[in-house]
Amino acid sequence: MLEKTLVDSIKQNHSLTQAQQLALGKFIDKGFPTSKWEEWKYASLKHLNEHNWQWSPETLSVKFPKPDWKQSAIIQTLNGNTHSEGALPQGIALLSVSEFMAQNPTFESVWKARNPILDQNSLYDLNEALVSDFAVLWVKKGVKIAEPLLHHYLVSGQQDTAVQSKIFIYLEEDSEITWFEQQRSESSHAILSNYVQEIWVSKNAHLTLIKDQDLQQSITHVDHTFIFQQESSLVDAFTFSINAAYLRNNLHFYIDGPQVVSNLNGLYIPGEDQLMDTHSVVDHRMPHSESNELYKGVLMGNATGVFNGKIFVRPDAQKTNAFQSCKNVLASDRATMSTKPQLEIWADDVKCSHGTTTGQLSDEALFYMRSRGISKATAQTLLLLAFVQQVIDKLAHAEIRAELSDKIVNKIQTSLGLTI
Amino acid sequence: MLLVKNLHARIGEKEILKGINLEVHAGEVHAIMGPNGSGKSTLASVLAGRSDYEVSEGSVEFFGKDLLDLSPEARAAEGLFLAFQYPVEIPGVSTTNFMKSAINEIRTYRGQDPMDAVQFLKMFKEKMAYVNIDQSLLSRALNEGFSGGEKKRNEIFQMAVLEPKLAILDETDSGLDIDALRIVAEGVNKLKTPQNATILVTHYQRLLDYIIPDFVHVLYKGKIVKSGNKDLALELEERGYDWIISALD
Repeated sequence: MLEKTLVDSIKQNHSLTQAQQLALGKFIDKGFPTSKWEEWKYASLKHLNEHNWQWSPETLSVKFPKPDWKQSAIIQTLNGNTHSEGALPQGIALLSVSEFMAQNPTFESVWKARNPILDQNSLYDLNEALVSDFAVLWVKKGVKIAEPLLHHYLVSGQQDTAVQSKIFIYLEEDSEITWFEQQRSESSHAILSNYVQEIWVSKNAHLTLIKDQDLQQSITHVDHTFIFQQESSLVDAFTFSINAAYLRNNLHFYIDGPQVVSNLNGLYIPGEDQLMDTHSVVDHRMPHSESNELYKGVLMGNATGVFNGKIFVRPDAQKTNAFQSCKNVLASDRATMSTKPQLEIWADDVKCSHGTTTGQLSDEALFYMRSRGISKATAQTLLLLAFVQQVIDKLAHAEIRAELSDKIVNKIQTSLGLTI
Repeated sequence: MLLVKNLHARIGEKEILKGINLEVHAGEVHAIMGPNGSGKSTLASVLAGRSDYEVSEGSVEFFGKDLLDLSPEARAAEGLFLAFQYPVEIPGVSTTNFMKSAINEIRTYRGQDPMDAVQFLKMFKEKMAYVNIDQSLLSRALNEGFSGGEKKRNEIFQMAVLEPKLAILDETDSGLDIDALRIVAEGVNKLKTPQNATILVTHYQRLLDYIIPDFVHVLYKGKIVKSGNKDLALELEERGYDWIISALD
């Protein structure tokens, strides 16, 4: 059924390029991931086959409330269509990929050779098959913008809808931006939100990437974020996974130059009937670079959590420092967490370490707090908030930190209130 | 205020308390002494509501209410306080935030309005001066990396803030040097009023040089086998527990 509706729909609405046809063929061969696929073992998408998807999402026009803090630009991606609300700062352009490649002819071959790891990722194929001309945010050489660029990502549909979105961010040498992305949905219907974000970080450029994922319970959201880092660049990435029935993050870092620093910080707090799966890849392809991963999870109700952290240190990547830490608290005896660190080290002069833990709140600590008059729910909340604080505190932007902190407190309190 | 009748408690299959009877009135200080493993700490834990223990028989009334029916937090709100033998480390939560949560939840339980930040700070400062504790200790994560003495002093500070009607001090003297012991004991003495009561659980007589008990009870194999006044503690110090035990066995 999937194949028929998909192909019929595409014939009606799109004319595919050769590359798209190739990608479509790959997707149809593989289908949606099932639990038999190693990389999707705990996060099958087989249930997506049961829907009669609308493959051409409706056009949306939404005005978001402006936040109180100062932003340098507002960019919206509404059901896959990207535009800017108002003017962009000097030195930043938003254009289509075809326009971008026409203006950067030498980059096109570099781009095509970027080679991300795509095995078992049929959703990326699907995105590639259905997205023809996506938007590029182009940050010119030496442009440094202190205030965050706010990105509204929204999916919606009046019927079961599959939305494909893609955006490419290109940071030229010595540039610096903060990209704050609010991922949202507005629909009571099932939505497959399949989002590809690729980011090119040139020499000496600095990107702060913050994702606030707060989607409705009817949403299946798959986020593929592939970051390619060149010499001496720095990326601080934050992923706050707060709500969605199904949330999968494929976050990849490709370290393509020396003196690169990649910081991955993540927090996932799934509650009742929610699944959150993080698959991170840090691919050290060049020497003298450093990656730091700090992930924390709080699992409430009957939530399912998955963390798979791959680190590759290729033969040329001598003097690599790679660290990974993933700590989880099961705040309910119905919640489950699966963790799998995967390190493949081909170079001999490297420092790598990893550690994953999954535990429960200490009964001793809870009793101690309750013996002082603090209720069980408050005691649990205080301990969990203290646990997640380490990740939140790494955010430098005070207002965004406060906004996310409130949201996280609220989610934890609500979820614990429901499950006690 | 506290009436314990024929209290039996077990952990798993093992019965630890085998019929405790104890009556505590306002204004009194009781010392519960006894050799290791006699059930002293179990008694303190059962009264505070630790769920590891199962009460199999008997009753405990606290101001006429069935204490055993209350959650640990409700016991605290009713005016019971347990100073822990081993205060627990609470990572990431400062004493200040911890006590603010405790005070306001207790006030809600009692039908009072929560304290605002200004009132809370004023009260907090008064109590700090009272038990001679430093601000820097209170802004750190509770008990995390505290020395033994700092932990115990923090327990007494919490007691000063919560103003319990009945305070149970479980082996508060353990792990304290003589100076720390004196400071802790001074705090306890200062907090004593004709309206509240204290139960000291201790192995050694040492603490009782500083906090003079009105009653001394000897606990052995889960029962109170002898009660007396402060002289009994001195006699225990001199003669040990053997003379009581051999009279029983």
